[in-house]
Amino acid sequence: MTGLWVLLGALAVTGVLGVLWRANNGRIRHARPASGEATSTEHAVPTQPAAGQRLPASVLSLLEPVPAGNVTLLQLSTTFCTPCRHTRVLLADLAGRTDGLRHVDVDVTERQDIASDLRVLRAPTTIAVDDQGRELFRTSGLPDRGTLTAALQPWLSQPVDPSTARRETA
Amino acid sequence: MSTDPPVDPRGPRFSAGVTTVLLAVVLLTGWWPLLAVQAVIFAASAFVSLRLNTWGQLYRVLVAPRLPSTSEREDSRPLRFAQGVGFVFAALGVLGYATGVTGLGIVATAFALIAALLNAAFGLCLGCEAYLLLQRFVGTSSTATTGE
Repeated sequence: MTGLWVLLGALAVTGVLGVLWRANNGRIRHARPASGEATSTEHAVPTQPAAGQRLPASVLSLLEPVPAGNVTLLQLSTTFCTPCRHTRVLLADLAGRTDGLRHVDVDVTERQDIASDLRVLRAPTTIAVDDQGRELFRTSGLPDRGTLTAALQPWLSQPVDPSTARRETA
Repeated sequence: MSTDPPVDPRGPRFSAGVTTVLLAVVLLTGWWPLLAVQAVIFAASAFVSLRLNTWGQLYRVLVAPRLPSTSEREDSRPLRFAQGVGFVFAALGVLGYATGVTGLGIVATAFALIAALLNAAFGLCLGCEAYLLLQRFVGTSSTATTGE
């Protein structure tokens, strides 16, 4: 009977681990507000979370030039990464249909320094960056379109259309 | 060792499902020759070619023709590494059962089952993730060339 108990235990452990892993995928992790930085109150929307730290210069150089008011979805990908491909498609589509949003995909397979500078362990990881180079939030794994759209909305002046339906041409 | 071409990602999940059932039977019955069979399959897939995986062959012949075709492909290197990890656990399990150290047999089989079921049910390949982390910290060998 030991075998049966061990089997049941293994099934339970698998269930817990699997659910936790699923829950972490696409979860938005907001950046901690940069300490000592004065938040401007004239433009602040009450519900808008504060931007975090500026990204390291080595990374910011990859994003230049940054149009004013733009939010950049910086995606870190590696080889052998199927979810990276799916994420690339999703983010490129979102950026394509939303003004003020752009997508930059960086292969960090040969650039481990970038991944460690950004404390990124997993691919894909997507970091939302404002036009000042500050981190807004990040998410690992394939993002959920609705969750990502909701997290981006406070930072964008235009409403984001989260649907996957093609926009009708004017 | 030569590299396999990229595979239909549903194949490994199917294999993981069959493996899960097999390992569950081993846990319930203690009949370790079945575990030895799985160990051989793991070894052949890891050290020679993924094409030798019996469950993968079953997938290609019985299941794949019934599914819509996909252009999705998964790289073979993390998969083979994962099969190698499976082999280690299965071999430890066989060693445990065969020498009467049943505790080792049960624990090794249970770990292999958790990994296989996570793959089959959630699509999470622990061995593949370990391979990727290793690549990150140890660096890629000269066999890795271009990115995706």
